[in-house]
Amino acid sequence: MGLNVGIDFGTSNSGVAIYHNNQVHVLPIDSRNIVPEVVKTILYITIDQKHFIGQEAVELYYKQNINRQRRFVKKWTGEIDYHGADMHYVRDVYVYVDELQPGRLMQFIKTALRSEKYVGTQVFDRFYSLSDIISTYLQALKQRAEVLLQEEISGVTLGRPVKFSQVPELDQKAQTTLQLAALEAGFKQVDFELEPVAAALYYELSLSKPQNVLIFDFGGGTLDLTIMRLGDPHQRVVYASGGIGIAGSDFDRAIIQKRMLPHFGKGMVQHDPEILDLINTIPDWAALPELSTPRARAELERAIQAGQAPVRLKALESLIFNDLAFSFYNMIESTKITLSSLGVAVARMKEKDLDIWELYTRTQFEKDIQEHREQIQHVLMDTVSASGMEPGQIDAVVKTGGSSNIPVFSEMLGGIFGSNKVKSSDAFNSVTAGLAIKAGQ
Amino acid sequence: MINQNKIDEWIREVEERPTSAALIIQYIANRLSELANREEELAAQNIELLSGRKVEEYESRIANLEYQLNILKRQLGGEITIPAETPAMKPLVEKVNLLVYNPLGQVLRVEINRADLASGQTVAQIIDETSLGDVRSNVLVTTSQEELLFLFDSGRTVALPVSNLPPSSAENIDWQQAFVQEPRIKEELAAVHPIAKMSLYEACIQTSRRGFVKKINTSFLALHITEKYIGTGVKLPADKTCGLTFANKEDVFVMVSQEGYIFSMQVDRLPVAIEEVIHLGITDHIVAAFVAGQKPSIMFITQNGKAVNRDSGWLEPAGSFKTKGQPLLSKERREAGTRIIGAAAVDDADWGAFLHGDGTLTTYKLSELLASGSVPAGNQRASILSFSSFHMPEVKG
Repeated sequence: MGLNVGIDFGTSNSGVAIYHNNQVHVLPIDSRNIVPEVVKTILYITIDQKHFIGQEAVELYYKQNINRQRRFVKKWTGEIDYHGADMHYVRDVYVYVDELQPGRLMQFIKTALRSEKYVGTQVFDRFYSLSDIISTYLQALKQRAEVLLQEEISGVTLGRPVKFSQVPELDQKAQTTLQLAALEAGFKQVDFELEPVAAALYYELSLSKPQNVLIFDFGGGTLDLTIMRLGDPHQRVVYASGGIGIAGSDFDRAIIQKRMLPHFGKGMVQHDPEILDLINTIPDWAALPELSTPRARAELERAIQAGQAPVRLKALESLIFNDLAFSFYNMIESTKITLSSLGVAVARMKEKDLDIWELYTRTQFEKDIQEHREQIQHVLMDTVSASGMEPGQIDAVVKTGGSSNIPVFSEMLGGIFGSNKVKSSDAFNSVTAGLAIKAGQ
Repeated sequence: MINQNKIDEWIREVEERPTSAALIIQYIANRLSELANREEELAAQNIELLSGRKVEEYESRIANLEYQLNILKRQLGGEITIPAETPAMKPLVEKVNLLVYNPLGQVLRVEINRADLASGQTVAQIIDETSLGDVRSNVLVTTSQEELLFLFDSGRTVALPVSNLPPSSAENIDWQQAFVQEPRIKEELAAVHPIAKMSLYEACIQTSRRGFVKKINTSFLALHITEKYIGTGVKLPADKTCGLTFANKEDVFVMVSQEGYIFSMQVDRLPVAIEEVIHLGITDHIVAAFVAGQKPSIMFITQNGKAVNRDSGWLEPAGSFKTKGQPLLSKERREAGTRIIGAAAVDDADWGAFLHGDGTLTTYKLSELLASGSVPAGNQRASILSFSSFHMPEVKG
C-alpha cells in the first residue's frame, strides 16, 4: 500500500503535497524553480523521446532551440482521393518537416481538456493523444515526488475546475481523460476534488468558527467560484459553485492582441491575407511555433522585398524563425505580473531584428481586459445569487491562484463584499494543500 | 510607436496613480537615451552610405564572390573563358603564400615559388618579432587564388582575396610593412582561414580555446559571412574563438590542446549549439583543430621542436562530450613543460611551415621530419611558435 498525495494539475503551474500527522507538506518538486514548491506545467519532449518538465524543460528548450539552425525536408504524409463525375485520381500529400528540430515544447496542456476538437499531436515519430501528454507529465511528477518521499505513491487526489466546459458531455469527457492519464501514469487510485473546494479545505484549517466563504480561485486557465459553509469538517455545505473559462492566459492574449500586434505589422500591412494570417496567429501560443515553414518565410521575404512594413515584418520573421515565441509569451506574462505591484511596466524584448519597447500602464491593462472583467463580475454575481445569499451574508472571500493578485479584481471583490472580508490565501499552493488534505482523509 | 492615444493613456495613469509618474519618466528617459545612441549609429552608417564607402565595400564583396565562383568552376571542371592573349601553352607556375598574422590584425605575406621551395630553408626573417612581446603570431600557408576569412573574437568576419595583401619580397620583413585588418575596440583577430573551397564541404566547426565547438552548415555560414558575423562561438566570458574547420559529415574532427589532450569525433555527432566537448585543465587551451580525412598520419609539433607522429588509426573518437581527452604526452613530459604548438593530418608529400620565436620562418618536407622526429633548426633557435602544414600545388600546363 503506497502513499496518497494531492496534485494540483494547473494550467500554468502544478504542485504536489502530502497530508501527514495533521500537517500539509507541499513538496519541493522543482528544485530548479525560484519557488521549488511550484512546478511549471510545461513538458518538453526531445527527438529521442526523453521527457522533461518544469524549469528543466524550459532551460533545455532555450539551450537547444534559440537561434538554432533549421533544415526543412519534404515528407510524404498521405494521399487524397479525388472523385469527380467520371474520374478518380489520387494525389500525394507532403509536408515540410524541420529535421533539425531537437524537441517539442508543450504548455497550457490543461487548456486542451476544454477543447472539443483537440485529440493529440505528433511528436517526431510518435503520436501523443491528449491523455498520453498529460500522463507523461503526471508520471514525471509522480517520479519526482517518490524520490522526495522515498516511498511509492499509489493514490492521488487530482484537482479539477468546477466546469471544464459549459457542455456537460465535454466536461465529463475532460475528467475521464484526466483520470485515464493518471491511471496511465501509474496511480492505482484516482479521485477528484473541485479546486475551489480544495482551496477551502486549506483555508478551513485557519478557522475557529463556522463561516460562509466565497472561494475565488483564479489561475492561468479558469476562474472557479464556490460558496461554502466552512469551519466544521462534519457540516460543510456547498451553497453554489460557478466559473468561467477566463483567466491569466486570456489576459496575456488580450495584451498581445491590443498592444503587441502593431509591433509585427498590424495596421500597416493591408490587403495581404497570407501576411495578415501570420500576424493574427501571434496570440495563439500553440500555433505560433508551427509557423516556421519555408512557405511562411517565402511569404514574409516577398512582403519585405515589396516594402510592406519591412521593419515590422523582419521582427515577425525573427519571432517565428528564431524560436522566440516562448520568450515572447514569458515576457508578456512577466509584464502583466509587474502591473500587479506597480502602476507601470515596460514590455521589452530585444533580439536580432526584433526590438519591442512598450510602456504599459495598469490603466491600459485594465482597459484592455475590461470586457473580461465585466464577464467575471457577471458570473460572480450569478454565483452569489444562486447561493441564495446577499453579498453581506458572505463572511469571507478567499482569493487563490496567480491571477487573483491582479488589483482590479481585488478592488472588484472589495467593492462588492467589503475590503475587510477579502483574504489572500497562498496563491500557488492552497489548492495543492487542500487536495493533499482530501487525499489524506 | 508612441502616438497621442498612448500618451493620453499614460496621463490617465498618472492622474489615477500619481506614484506612476516617476516610473514613467524614468522608463521614457532610459528609452530616449537608448534611441539617441542608436540614432548616432545609424547616422554614422548613413554617412558611410552617402560617401560611397559602403557601395565600394559591397562592390568589392561582389567581386570577391565572383572570383570565388570562378575558382570553384575551375576546381569542379566547369568552363571558364580564358582571355585570348593568355598563351595557352605557357605553364602557369603556382606559388604558395606564407602568411603570418597576429591578434592585432597585422598580416605579413611571403610568396614562395614552387621551384624555390626547399626543405630546411629559411624563407624569411621577421626582424622585430620579439618586440611584440606576448602577442602570439600564427602561420598559415595558402595558394594565391584563395579567399581569406578574417575571424575576430567578437564573431565579426571580413573576407578578402589573398591577392589583396601586399607581398613582402625582402628576406627580412618587418611588422611595420604588414597589411592591417584593424580590429575594433576590445577586439582581437582570432584566426585567418582560406574559404574558397568552403562550398565543397557540408559543415564548418567553430572551435573555442576552452574546448567548446559549434557546428554550422556551410550554406548558413556563407549567409553569415555575407552579414559579416558568424557568432562568438563561446559560452564562457573568459573564452575566445580560435578558428574554423571545414569538414564533411563522415569526417573525423580532431582538436588538440596545448597540454597534449586530443578530442576526436565524427563530424555528424558534433553539436549544433555551442557545447563543451573536451574538458580542459585551467591552464590548458586548444592549439589545433583539423579533420583527419584520408591522411595516414597525424603530426604533433612541440614548442621545443619535437615532431610526434601517430597513425590516424591511433585516434580514439570520443563517445560523449566533456571528455578529458585522449592524452598524447606522458605525465612526466607534461610536468617537464613540453607543450604542443600545432598539429595536422599529414602525408609524405606534405610540407610544413614553422614560425620560430626569433622570427625565423622555415619550411620542411614533412617526410623528413617523420623520419628524424624533430625539427632540425629548433635546437639553436628559440622555441617554435606556430606550425602549419600545406600541400604544394602541382604545376599546371
